[in-house]
Amino acid sequence: MLLTLFLVMSLSFWIIRLMPKSIFENPEVSPEIQRLLEAEMHLDKPMVVQYYYFLKGIVLHGDFGTSVKVRPGMDVFRIISTRIPPTVMLNVLALLVSMPLGFILGTIAALRRNKPTDVVMSFLIVLFISIPSFVFASALQYFLTFKIPIFPTLYDSTALTLGAKLNSLVLPITALALGPIATIARYLRGELIETLSSEYLLLARTKGLTRAQATVRHALRNSLVPIANTIIPMITGIIGGSLVVERMYSIPGMGGQLVDSILAGDHFLTVALLIFYSAISLITILIVDVSYGIIDPRIRIGGRQ
Amino acid sequence: MPTDSNDTILKVTDLTISFKAYGGMVQAVRGVSFDLKRGETVAIVGESGSGKSVTIKAIMGILPGNAVIEGGAIDYHGTDLTKLNEEGFHEIRGKRIGLIFQDPLSALNPIMKIGKQITEVLHLTKKLSTADAKTQAIELMRSVGIPEPERRFNQYPFQFSGGMRQRIVIAIALAGDPEILICDEPTTALDVTVQAKILDLINQIKKERNLSVIFIMHDLGVVANMAQRVNVMYAGKILESGTAEDVFFRPAHPYTWALLSSIPDMQTKEKLLAIPGTPPNMIHPPKGDAFAVRNKYALKLDFEREPPPIRISDTHWAATWLLHPKAPKVDMPEILRHRINRMTGGVV
Repeated sequence: MLLTLFLVMSLSFWIIRLMPKSIFENPEVSPEIQRLLEAEMHLDKPMVVQYYYFLKGIVLHGDFGTSVKVRPGMDVFRIISTRIPPTVMLNVLALLVSMPLGFILGTIAALRRNKPTDVVMSFLIVLFISIPSFVFASALQYFLTFKIPIFPTLYDSTALTLGAKLNSLVLPITALALGPIATIARYLRGELIETLSSEYLLLARTKGLTRAQATVRHALRNSLVPIANTIIPMITGIIGGSLVVERMYSIPGMGGQLVDSILAGDHFLTVALLIFYSAISLITILIVDVSYGIIDPRIRIGGRQ
Repeated sequence: MPTDSNDTILKVTDLTISFKAYGGMVQAVRGVSFDLKRGETVAIVGESGSGKSVTIKAIMGILPGNAVIEGGAIDYHGTDLTKLNEEGFHEIRGKRIGLIFQDPLSALNPIMKIGKQITEVLHLTKKLSTADAKTQAIELMRSVGIPEPERRFNQYPFQFSGGMRQRIVIAIALAGDPEILICDEPTTALDVTVQAKILDLINQIKKERNLSVIFIMHDLGVVANMAQRVNVMYAGKILESGTAEDVFFRPAHPYTWALLSSIPDMQTKEKLLAIPGTPPNMIHPPKGDAFAVRNKYALKLDFEREPPPIRISDTHWAATWLLHPKAPKVDMPEILRHRINRMTGGVV
């Protein structure tokens, strides 16, 4: 995992820094001052040397550099640390909303296989999987804040109560969660249909369990193992979607900052943000990997032997 | 056909089941009738696809969604199981009728502890507390021959061998104290040495608990040691029915002859006789005797009219025109006659 993080750091450094355009290109700043600033940040040295300073700063001092454009003179790490909580809150909430809903809908679809409920749901699932979250974001904004004003248009970061804050998060969370809900429901439906026709489910029913009891106790958990696989790309999907959605609802998170920093050419900030995004993804992947063992004893105990 | 008596606990009459398929209705079971008496083992033997498993699935109410019970009745203590709804079956399954599966490897939930899979039934059928259920489950595991049941209780199915898993499946079937135990080829998926032990176990628990057993098997050799009465099934119909002695020592139907001739034994030196051909397509079952095309003793009549069950003795009947008084006299295959003579000492 550290290796992955290192590769991400190096890759994002090289890719971003090899972009043309000087960081300090600004007609209002005189060329001498530009040169002085570049010297201070080692920007006048060859790229390899800059790479060395970049790695040394992060590893030894946790120093990701200084912002030059978006918030000039401010330590990048400090900028990001204020930006992480809203982003994490949005993404985690979207995930927490989408998983149970996806499970419930997937189960219903599997149990009502080929009945009208299932057909309608399958149609909606395809629709929601194929439409990206920012389209939902603008559609929700248009219909639920402009046409029928139920929810606030933008995120209210100054809200005093948690309730008000969450209220202003409902729309972005919904926009982010619709796709994942559909993804989970779709995969779970397929998995459950297979599990429901298994011998042990038949045995569960010959024990005298009702169909619903058998499904919940025996089928659902067995279907979760393959589902855990789909959760990893789903999480990265949510994070990717939140880049844009944060912007649309002016949530002061990492996503908006990343877009700003790329547009402004604030390379230190961009690279640092990319690293933090990767770190968040890696952590979620780790959690998913650990959860395999919790769901399936064959992985847990089999690995020990 | 055997006469009705008071200790008959399950009576299947003229059961007819079809499956909806793309090509039409597959007639899996075409008028099957048999009785199960208390404390008795009834075997149903036949090739794959003869309708054995479908019959017992109908008794358990676990037919797949595309199956249709087209006629007949399954009388269990005055209730017709063919008309029972899903809720009604919750009172039957597990509590009254237990089922042992063919493949213990896939019959247990792979990610649930063995103990929980047994206690689940106890909670459900006897409303036991967790502690009581555990004690009883361990007792059950011991009674089906699981060593160290206390330790095994907390293990998962993948930590058990095939034979041990089948013992667990048996324990699960027994947990609800059923009065009927249905064994669907309980040893087919197991090694031969393990087979014998499982069969012994089934016989032993049957005696201990005075169970009635329906035994589904394609292996006649196994059936001989297990069942009091044997029904030979082919293409969805019972062709011959009688006590184990009737069917093994006085077989009357050419299909039974063919099945018996294909069993290897220690003495037979001759080449075993395989049954030529394959079972018929059950979307369009043949007009006369379904076995006629594969039957070298078939009469012209066999291709035109279906033979009715013809009584041989009080306990024995077979559906073949060969038993008709006007039919030509035909003897069973040599290999079979020799074998029966050897086993009975020529008395029968």
